[in-house]
Amino acid sequence: MTRLVSPRTLFIALGLLCLLAVWLSLALGPVSLPLIDTLRVGLRLLGLPVNGDGLEQAELILGQIRLPRTLLGLAVGAVLALAGVAMQGLFRNPLADPGLVGVSSGAALGAAIAIVGSTWVGGVPEVFAPYLLSLCAFLGGLGVTALVYRLGSKEGQTSVATMLLAGIALTALASSAVGLFTYLADDATLRTLTFWNLGSLNGASYQRLWPLVLVATGVALWLPRRAEALNALLLGESEARHLGFEVEKLKRELVFCTALGVGAAVAAAGLIGFIGLVVPHLVRLLAGPDHRVLLPASLLAGASLLLFADLIARLALAPAELPIGIVTAFIGAPFFLYLLLRGRA
Amino acid sequence: MRRYASLIALCIGLVFNPAQAEQLPQRWVSAGGALSEWIVELGAESRLVGVDTTSQHPQSLKALPSIGYQRQLSAEGVLSLRPDVLVGTEEMGPPPVLAQIRGAKVRVELFSSQADLEAVHGNLKHLGELLGKPEQAEQRFVDYRQQLDALKAKVKAVQASAGAPGVILLVGHAGAKPMIAGKGTAGDWLIEQAGGRNLATNDGYKNFSTETLAALNPEVVVVSDRALTGDAALQALIKENPALAASRAVREKRLIDLDPTLLVGGLGPRLPASLQALAQAFYPAAKAQLAP
Repeated sequence: MTRLVSPRTLFIALGLLCLLAVWLSLALGPVSLPLIDTLRVGLRLLGLPVNGDGLEQAELILGQIRLPRTLLGLAVGAVLALAGVAMQGLFRNPLADPGLVGVSSGAALGAAIAIVGSTWVGGVPEVFAPYLLSLCAFLGGLGVTALVYRLGSKEGQTSVATMLLAGIALTALASSAVGLFTYLADDATLRTLTFWNLGSLNGASYQRLWPLVLVATGVALWLPRRAEALNALLLGESEARHLGFEVEKLKRELVFCTALGVGAAVAAAGLIGFIGLVVPHLVRLLAGPDHRVLLPASLLAGASLLLFADLIARLALAPAELPIGIVTAFIGAPFFLYLLLRGRA
Repeated sequence: MRRYASLIALCIGLVFNPAQAEQLPQRWVSAGGALSEWIVELGAESRLVGVDTTSQHPQSLKALPSIGYQRQLSAEGVLSLRPDVLVGTEEMGPPPVLAQIRGAKVRVELFSSQADLEAVHGNLKHLGELLGKPEQAEQRFVDYRQQLDALKAKVKAVQASAGAPGVILLVGHAGAKPMIAGKGTAGDWLIEQAGGRNLATNDGYKNFSTETLAALNPEVVVVSDRALTGDAALQALIKENPALAASRAVREKRLIDLDPTLLVGGLGPRLPASLQALAQAFYPAAKAQLAP
């Protein structure tokens, strides 16, 4: 595979793109704030002594609504794209996405249990209620992925092919369980479930942000250190083993990273498709398959793409809001097709 | 010109009612179909600056900015309308967004979406206070209860001589795969209030097999369809569900269509009139007796 741009150019371009995305995400929204107010509040949030008279409204919107939302978008986008790279590397297949090991369908099942189940038991304690959905989604994703991994492993050896098939089977099983909950749900719960399945960064707050930020930072720091091993894995499992990499350990770590990262992202923002599949693919089309470039570049591209998608989600129908999952696929898919066809010509 | 007009209005307001003009919320956002209807009913449509997607009635509300579905509000979206108050039912959410809106010093007032008179009374009282029209709201409730009570008495009188008809209520979209309104639904409540007997024994709204539908053999079918109304809905329904064609309801042409917006978000002001029409359709022989 050839590359279109040098890694250096790519990193500069993606870095600038990401900064632009962050700036727009802070500066634009249904409430229009004067640019000067945005700048002043921005400086205040950075801890600089700027006069804050008359800025209460702007400070609230930037500090309590847009900033947590932007951080959430960065973390979710980055972690989904990184997990995509990990899965495509593990399965040595560019069509792989994090859903393949069952983390998305497991999370969806967890969410369905939380949403529908809590109406059956007549509500849950007030303090616990806001976190129940996230917790169930996270545990569901982790649980199903662990099961897929166990099914694919035998005597310390993990067969990627068996894992793939086990992932497909468990995804089908989890989907039918979600279907059952959908059938049993009443009208209002059904709407909640549908919207959750389309994802949203709406209502982000600092309290709910930090677990994801922690996980995302961990994944973002750790995965690039396995870039060499992932490169070797591209050649094949036995080749990588002969090159001196601990392939079984690597597989375990990749699955764990994906389950943890995607589980946390889904718990915070619902199901957001497409980023994990297409961002690594896009970067590969631009810069080739070297994981030393692919991993950090996908992180930047995933975070930027998600922030741009969120901008559209909150501005297109303002004051109402679109679920972001609709937007990511709607802008991403045609762009992806364009790159694909251009590459072929 | 408009600025002068509002200035004059403001002066008049300040002269006549200085205390209230300051405290009462002037810019309203409503996230609940029935609530929006009640606000309009109490003569405060001009105070609404935004409504959610369940506020479908009256038609004029559709011209207002839409804040989306009541359970998926966006904090910044609502704030961009610069409201003084956001009203909605306990279904409104998500909770973190409501917290953000409260944080921006916008009042968030919660109402009940229960389908019973007590809830209507509580809601009207609350709305009356917020609108500065407590007497008008109370009077409106008294009328409302009277209308419903009067209808109830009449239905009871009619039932003494005629048995309650077996009814099913179908909620569908363009006739395809209708859901049947079972126990505990707003549809069930409507049928009972209008003097019918709901033949469906399931809980909630569920899809039904055509065989079951045929076995119920209803005397009256009420259709609440979002895409089709009147004769078109009924024709489509029969075409999609041949099992219904043999039922008593179809043979005797006793299919009634019901405005689907009535079934959403608590009891609204249009309810007594709709119940009246339903009851008259249930007991065609006693049509005059059931008239107001």
